[in-house]
Amino acid sequence: MTDMTSVLQDQVRVAADTGAGLNIVGAGTKTGLGRAAQGQTLSLLEHKGVISYSPTELVIQVRSGTTVTELNSILAEQKQRLVFDPPVFNDQATIGGSVAANQSGSSRPWVGGVRDSLLGVGLINGTGEHLHFGGQVMKNVAGFDVSRCQVGAMGTLGVITEVSLKVLPQYEADATLVFAASVADALQMMPQYMQRNLPVTSVCYWQGKLYVRLQGSTAGVDSIVSAGDGSVLAQDAAIALWHQLREYKLLDATTEQVLWRSNVAATDALVMCTDDCLLNWAGSQRWQLLPADQAGPEQAIQFMGGDRQGEVNGELNSVARQLQGRLKKAFDPHSVFNSGRLYSWM
Amino acid sequence: MPLAKEPQVSTVLSRQALVADLGRLVTPQQVLDDDENQRPFECDGLAVYKQMPWITVIPNTSEQVQDILAYCYKQRIPVVVRGAGTGLCAGATPHASGVLLVMTRFDQILSIDADLAQARVQPGVRNLALSQAAEPMGLYYAPDPSSQIACTIGGNVAENSGGVHCLKYGLTVNNLLAVTLVTMEGELVTFGGPGYETPGMDLVALMAGSEGLLGVIVEATVRLLPRAEKVQVLMAAFAAVTDAGDAVADLVGSGVIPAGLEMMDKLAIVAAEDFVKVGYPTDAEALLICELDGTEAEVAQQLEAVKTCFNHCGATSIRVAKDAQEAARLWLGRKSAFPAVGRISPDYYCMDGTIPRSQVGKVLTRIGELSTHYGLPVVNVFHAGDGNLHPLILFDDAKSGDLEKAEALGGDILTLCVDVGGTITGEHGVGLEKLSHMPYQFSDQELAQFRGIKLAFDSHELLNPGKAIPTLKYCQEYRSIQHD
Ligand SMILES: Cc1cc2nc3c(=O)[nH]c(=O)nc-3n(C[C@H](O)[C@H](O)[C@H](O)COP(=O)(O)OP(=O)(O)OC[C@H]3O[C@@H](n4cnc5c(N)ncnc54)[C@H](O)[C@@H]3O)c2cc1C
Repeated sequence: MTDMTSVLQDQVRVAADTGAGLNIVGAGTKTGLGRAAQGQTLSLLEHKGVISYSPTELVIQVRSGTTVTELNSILAEQKQRLVFDPPVFNDQATIGGSVAANQSGSSRPWVGGVRDSLLGVGLINGTGEHLHFGGQVMKNVAGFDVSRCQVGAMGTLGVITEVSLKVLPQYEADATLVFAASVADALQMMPQYMQRNLPVTSVCYWQGKLYVRLQGSTAGVDSIVSAGDGSVLAQDAAIALWHQLREYKLLDATTEQVLWRSNVAATDALVMCTDDCLLNWAGSQRWQLLPADQAGPEQAIQFMGGDRQGEVNGELNSVARQLQGRLKKAFDPHSVFNSGRLYSWM
Repeated sequence: MPLAKEPQVSTVLSRQALVADLGRLVTPQQVLDDDENQRPFECDGLAVYKQMPWITVIPNTSEQVQDILAYCYKQRIPVVVRGAGTGLCAGATPHASGVLLVMTRFDQILSIDADLAQARVQPGVRNLALSQAAEPMGLYYAPDPSSQIACTIGGNVAENSGGVHCLKYGLTVNNLLAVTLVTMEGELVTFGGPGYETPGMDLVALMAGSEGLLGVIVEATVRLLPRAEKVQVLMAAFAAVTDAGDAVADLVGSGVIPAGLEMMDKLAIVAAEDFVKVGYPTDAEALLICELDGTEAEVAQQLEAVKTCFNHCGATSIRVAKDAQEAARLWLGRKSAFPAVGRISPDYYCMDGTIPRSQVGKVLTRIGELSTHYGLPVVNVFHAGDGNLHPLILFDDAKSGDLEKAEALGGDILTLCVDVGGTITGEHGVGLEKLSHMPYQFSDQELAQFRGIKLAFDSHELLNPGKAIPTLKYCQEYRSIQHD
């Protein structure tokens, strides 16, 4: 429960003055994502704790070093939960890192991702100023959306000191349906779960099966289950499946095996949809494990594993690159934060 | 009117020369420079801010937009973008020596993909037209501003607009997948894509609510939602606004997230009932209109929870719509509230603060006191589930001093919203109107960070200059007045 903000600001100011680079780190669980980090460690691990939590407002404001597991258990005491269900990485992952690395869970297409839960941030910019954007209310359009801009930025724009997140009550019921399906069948079957208003929170294809997770009110979930489509997966098997999927454990990346990811139109029948692929998000997020010496699929990013020195997040066209370069400068004029973590040139 | 100080712009060319040049980039018919034809563009929905455009261009292709912007960039001519002009913060108010870019001819729905439940649209497509086009596929576009008959998707993205269904389904930003933008330098760039997320910083989100300051939106990809199997509307009357406020906080806090949860106070109930006669209880002090959606089973379960909660909070009556017609009538009163208020007052001024739900009762009571203090009636009809207030301040512009009083009262309401932990604008944007309240919500350093973002996209501050983000000088003046 410590507020380290002023210590962190001092460290940033010193780095800005001396021209040193900082590597912002929570628990280090995302070290394998993005490009290899450089610079002195700026640790957020001690900067933790709940700043405010009002269950009836469905909002929690926490320091960024708080672990996702701690956060989940604080919310669970009030029978609430995070909406975007990020991985916990052996209970180590911090919420700041989860936001910076955009760790949206399997329910992304139905209930939204990190950005949709994020209501506000505290941010130390590259000159050491501590700034606040957004807030604790659901709707807020005063000024540019600096908060959501941090999602996926991998700390390149500043040190996220605190986040305000929208939370929701826990689901009353959940069940998982399973269907035997080839990847081609799965592609055919998936769209219906986007086209009907059902209590669906995940649809994925893995190893010859299509899995559909239902979560919501008891009445809502029961009515789908009793309709009798597919078979119901045993509770412990279902828990294990969704856990492994969330924690990136179904496809295990190593230095020799690269985990590729691509986000495409869910109906795309050309990109990464062979039987060995994992299709999540009703088909719009695709995963494939390939030997490190093999070229990755077109459009895919090198999500985890292999050599992390290259342009693992892909190339940007010149206009996007120029704009992002200027944005980076606007937040971090002395290039203090996470150099090269997102792109080699940033 | 506290008009923003605008950055110095040097236009060496005469209007005539410019019109000729622009006419060559598009066609001469697409360029207007006379008062008669430009009068409709003089203001947006906040008509107290008026400025006759200098030159208006009505492009119809992205290439034309690119050419116009590249040209204006070279000549250092300010550019203001306009959609349907329904904005309520003077965001589309023209610039006295700039080009107004009217986007209404970009009115094509490029594709609706039922399998993906997504649509690609040009920015001039009207909000309601998209839902209507998606209807045969059982889909609709969820963010539904009350102005949805007229307002455009481009304007919606630029303001990050909301509507009555945003409680459950989110604002524009939560339904936006990709944006194609023309930068002030005339470059075309796309952020986002159909696969929900792209690597790196979320620039799609940055475009939402960017108020025409960062680029001209020429295309957007949005997600569509399936129509629910069952929709149930109910209305509950309360004998005190605080009871209704508590009911809202209790209901959402208990975990029931209605598709919409709207509140009207007595003045709004009476005005709406007089106007559209839908059977609202005119003796009630407050009314909640609640819409539930989902499967039959889900809705039945939620309905019981809602009734229990409302009764517990002292509802004096609850009416559950028997069928779709009755539901439509219950909504009609709410949706007609603004024009209904227009009938009882020569002018009204719509505010847009958001507050924590638990503060609704307290803030409405305080607004009542302020209303008495200023001697101007205030009507409340708003998105209660989100805590997004829309106090309508009634005044008469013909009466000298009334507008100033309305603005002062509005300003007090906005600072009140910030004081209880909220914001000066939930969905209408800052524009020219709320510039002077930005320094109340943000520090100079935070405002300077906003400016940094602006300059990253528009280094010469040519796009919608003088709006949304106050200059530092402006803030210093503001703060010195506050301290006097
Ligand atoms: C009766 C009434 C009810 C309303 N109800 C609601 C409501 O419930 N919820 C809500 O959120 N708002 C509401 N509004 C406000 C308004 O309708 C919204 O802000 C709407 O999104 C504006 O769209 P527009 O096309 O009219 O944009 P305009 O008013 O033309 O422009 C708004 C802003 O967007 C910018 N802009 C427009 N098009 C583009 C583009 N292509 N690229 C870049 N920038 C662009 C303009 O520069 C300006 O800053 C209401 C307004 C009225 C009059």
